Amino acid sequence: MIAESRGPLLSRRRVLLAAASAPLAVACTTPPPAPPPPDPLAELAVRARADAALATAAGLTEVAEARTEHAKLLQAEVDRARPSGPSSSASAPPSTSAAPPPSGGTPEEVVAALQAAQQAGTDLLATVPPYRAGLLGSVVAGCASLVEVLS
Amino acid sequence: MSQPSSSTAPTGGKPTGEAVQAVQDALAAEHAAVWTYGLVSAFVEQGPKTAEGANAHRARRDATERLLRDASAEPVPPAPAYLPPAPVTDATSAIAALVAVEIDACVAWRGVLERTEDAELRRTALDALTGCAVRATRWRKAGGLLPAGLAMPGTAVG
Repeated sequence: MIAESRGPLLSRRRVLLAAASAPLAVACTTPPPAPPPPDPLAELAVRARADAALATAAGLTEVAEARTEHAKLLQAEVDRARPSGPSSSASAPPSTSAAPPPSGGTPEEVVAALQAAQQAGTDLLATVPPYRAGLLGSVVAGCASLVEVLS
Repeated sequence: MSQPSSSTAPTGGKPTGEAVQAVQDALAAEHAAVWTYGLVSAFVEQGPKTAEGANAHRARRDATERLLRDASAEPVPPAPAYLPPAPVTDATSAIAALVAVEIDACVAWRGVLERTEDAELRRTALDALTGCAVRATRWRKAGGLLPAGLAMPGTAVG
């Protein structure tokens, strides 16, 4: 009887502890099993998603749709190159490193974000294999086109 | 700010292998663009937009010919004439012809990006692709076409 009443107590504590430390454990264990460096296109995909949100907040539907398409295409290439974790990367939360979250969203902010994305893509161009260079080129030129739309 | 051209527009690079043909295709697209800007001059109000486009394509054509000669390739000559997607008879069809020729050039320059490891040639191709995409957008805006922007310039879907 004593053992029985202790059992649930212990396990509940354990569950609580596990629940509390689970995010920590995930955060700590993710780097070791992924020794290859993060795919540089993944950050561009995150940036594109953030731009889409910003453009939506600013009421710029065309830009939002185009940047959403960029995010999809970039993420598809990231997943293709590393098929081990497609689901986790596809639903990757917008990391804080790439772009600020949409605050109010003004056309000026959108233009600045598009220009930054253009530069980020251009900076990567020399480092990627040819099949990625085409994708990157279209994304960069697409951002320039969107800036022209808003000019 | 239409292009990220900090100092001088990149125009160099060393095509090898299949990149040579890709650059030839891009040169053919530039020939067509130069011709089309001449064709539409009677129908589109001449101003900064037409001048910028015509000058940009002439400069790109000349630079691309140089680039090919430096790679010991004989640059493709221009065709005697080009066929626009629809007969050019007024401002609307003239703008459609300009949009089409800019989009064709986007495709050709993306083709170069996909076929070279040469960093300088990539910069050149990206600069050309970006310039064409911006001009295509400008003309679509001028013609009241929606959406004015190209999400993925250089791909078949635009």
